[in-house]
Amino acid sequence: MTELRSVSGKPDKKIEDKLMLEDKEEVICDSAVDEYFLGIKGDLNQADRLVSDAVNNLVINFRCIDELTKSYHELVLAIEKMTLSEGCGSITGLLEKQMVIANRIEQELEMAIISLQFGDLVSQLLAHTSRQVKMLNVELECFDRQGDWQGKTEKKTIDSIHSAVSKAVNVVKNKSRDKPVVQQGMQMGDIDIF
Amino acid sequence: MIKTILAVDDSASIRQMVAFTLKGAGYEVIQAVDGQDALDKANSHQVNLVLTDINMPRMDGLKLLELLRKLAQYKNIPILILTTESGDEIKAKGRAAGATGWLVKPFDPKRLLEVIGKVIS
Repeated sequence: MTELRSVSGKPDKKIEDKLMLEDKEEVICDSAVDEYFLGIKGDLNQADRLVSDAVNNLVINFRCIDELTKSYHELVLAIEKMTLSEGCGSITGLLEKQMVIANRIEQELEMAIISLQFGDLVSQLLAHTSRQVKMLNVELECFDRQGDWQGKTEKKTIDSIHSAVSKAVNVVKNKSRDKPVVQQGMQMGDIDIF
Repeated sequence: MIKTILAVDDSASIRQMVAFTLKGAGYEVIQAVDGQDALDKANSHQVNLVLTDINMPRMDGLKLLELLRKLAQYKNIPILILTTESGDEIKAKGRAAGATGWLVKPFDPKRLLEVIGKVIS
């Protein structure tokens, strides 16, 4: 099968710039917390790459299918005309061309089928990210309720917040299950027969 | 004789892509939206192969696999997992529960047909 056209290696310029800006932001709390949010950012970036990759592939696939279908119809009309006016010799050549076009249409459709699976991959990634954010929210609310923020100096309060956020992230990290999507682009997945 | 495949996935687009691929190759396809739906359909139809996702509401693919293997008519039927997950731990669980093979999404139609052709015979 023809190799899939992947754009995964070239992230969208706007997204890249945005991420670069965000990466320059200050560390939120400590390295573990920063790593946690970078993980979420990475997951969303991965979802974005999957969608862009799939959409770009689909645009190419369907444009190609459209052109091939037109050529196919033109050939069918030409064959019909020739059948009426000439012998069978030149028709064989046209039929061979027709077969090549049919095979290419089939290949493009196969690639479109691979790309069209992006929706499932992205929805699973988004559900995973949403679960992580929700769990962190619950833990932070819990620390907020337990926290004694009154009567402390500003420095002490910031330290307490940092410590609470770190603890919340650690709790969530331990509770989190593995990321359900490993594919970074629309490359075909592995197959294992047991 | 036409072989029947039970395709289980909570994603409508994946079910459609699987059905499109398999029907084009001459298989009859029964679709199920989750493990529970699949179990009901497996009990009411004669199925030659099951192709199931893992993460689904109501009943996941591993539970479905476990329950199907307990049924006499599904003891030797090939059951393939088609999922986004590919961790060693979950694969080992699938294998222990009786999966015939593990395919990671996105699937390639030709390769899917090759694998199915190999295990269904």
